[in-house]
Amino acid sequence: MKRGFFFIYLALGVYSFFILLPLLALFSASFKPAQEIFDPNLVPRSPTLENYRIALEKFPLGRFLLNSLLVAGLVALGQVATSALAGYALARVRLPGRELLFGAVVALLLVPGEVTFLPLYDLVTHLGWLDTYWALVVPFLATPIGIFLMRQFFKTLPQDLFDAARIDGAGHLRMLWHVALPLARPALGALGALSFLSAWNMYLWPLVVTRSTEMQTVQIGVNMILNEEAARWNVVAAGAILALLPTLVAFLVAQRQFVRGITLGGLKG
Amino acid sequence: MGLEWLEGYGLFLPAALFLLVFTLWPAFQAILLSFQSEDPFGRGRFWVGLDNFTELAHDPRFWTSVWLTFKFAIVVALLEVALGLLGAVLLQYPVPGIGLFRTIFFMTTAVSTAVAAVAWGWFLHPVGGLLNRLIEGLGLPPQGWLTTPEWALYSVAAATAWQAIGFSTILLTAGLQDIPQELYEAARIDGASSWVTFRHITLPLLSPVLFFVIVLALVRGFTAFGQIHLLTRGGPSEATTVWIYRVYLDAFFNLRFTYAAAEGALLFLILLMLTALQFYFLGRRVHYA
Repeated sequence: MKRGFFFIYLALGVYSFFILLPLLALFSASFKPAQEIFDPNLVPRSPTLENYRIALEKFPLGRFLLNSLLVAGLVALGQVATSALAGYALARVRLPGRELLFGAVVALLLVPGEVTFLPLYDLVTHLGWLDTYWALVVPFLATPIGIFLMRQFFKTLPQDLFDAARIDGAGHLRMLWHVALPLARPALGALGALSFLSAWNMYLWPLVVTRSTEMQTVQIGVNMILNEEAARWNVVAAGAILALLPTLVAFLVAQRQFVRGITLGGLKG
Repeated sequence: MGLEWLEGYGLFLPAALFLLVFTLWPAFQAILLSFQSEDPFGRGRFWVGLDNFTELAHDPRFWTSVWLTFKFAIVVALLEVALGLLGAVLLQYPVPGIGLFRTIFFMTTAVSTAVAAVAWGWFLHPVGGLLNRLIEGLGLPPQGWLTTPEWALYSVAAATAWQAIGFSTILLTAGLQDIPQELYEAARIDGASSWVTFRHITLPLLSPVLFFVIVLALVRGFTAFGQIHLLTRGGPSEATTVWIYRVYLDAFFNLRFTYAAAEGALLFLILLMLTALQFYFLGRRVHYA
């Protein structure tokens, strides 16, 4: 038995090491002074915070991070809200044409965001939203996947709960608020985590709709640092580590929500 | 009570409005635009029928991009699924401290495309990169992983797959946990080796999830943009100018918006087929406990 454990730990350890290696190398480079940067040691001999100071002084990283937090936060909130309302309507309200509406939502799941970005860019230009938060947030406030997931979740709730509330004279809004939503907290958390992550990770869209430095998200900010500091990889590394921290911390704190969100919504990476 | 349907539509309305304007309308436009052309001086667009598509059919650079994209997507899917499956299988052993390893294995989910690209840009750096150091240690010549046309596409594919390992490990772990434990016990009682168990119980029962993850990985491969923009800008000598990158170049640099839309419409077709497949596998998998 002991021997079996040893090999399992060995396999787990080796795999972990290789998965982490690119990140470890980046982390290590971010603390290395310029003269040490090309040395292969993973532990810096004379670690320094200088790279972080340069990255923070030269680039408005705070602003980039704030923009990303704002955009991803608003998108997540909006998606959770619109999905909960619409999902509830599709799962729990007797609507004429309900199956048709659900069918339409499922059909929209087929539309990949990567190929609608040109017409969407057109639309946002006509609306005068280029280089504003509007362009970064509004197009993503409702998604078919969110509605789909919430509808599936609300379907699983036992009818008795709603019957009891109905006898007490509750309408759908009150049932949604007092019965369905409290039970849906894990599902809402999972959806929130998933939509936050995908909004945070957007690259192509903010790249084309933002112009000014003040409007850029942290992903585009990383691109900017990489372009301007290609000769100083330790500074690039420091910038990238700062860009990584918020989602890494969020993941470590709310791993369960992230994992649930991904398992349920694997549908749209 | 009689107004229940009104309440229901009211609840559905906000989502419907957003989807109509920002998903459905652009989807139609994506198709319509591909049948139009632009007046190079004014702002007007006019119908040209299939002109864009006939031009595309004879555009060798476009077809090179298509070919690169298929290669790229397949490499991404192979790497991602193989490593994800290995990770998910390793996580099945209930040893003490497995939670820590689970966190590590899932962690790349928290890494954005841009950060993953920078991490790999450094990992593959010709002078300072660890990979070349390891290779030199083995007595092999260092390579320009991102700067030679032979390697660049595979290097970016590796970075793309790496970022998605956490994602596919999560999905495959969920899939493995759905396989009834009794089957493994029965196999153990019958004295089956772990390879036989894996081959005859795990793989067949996991196959719907496995195919689902493969399709997702292919979609990821077909739509990868950020890592290419950050690491190679489509180069060297267009070796990584994949489909979506060409759409971006044609629309925003060559200023041929509608021609780019036609390229995008064809990509749309491929993705549509992949997403339909994904649904098929999802239909065989989904259950909500």
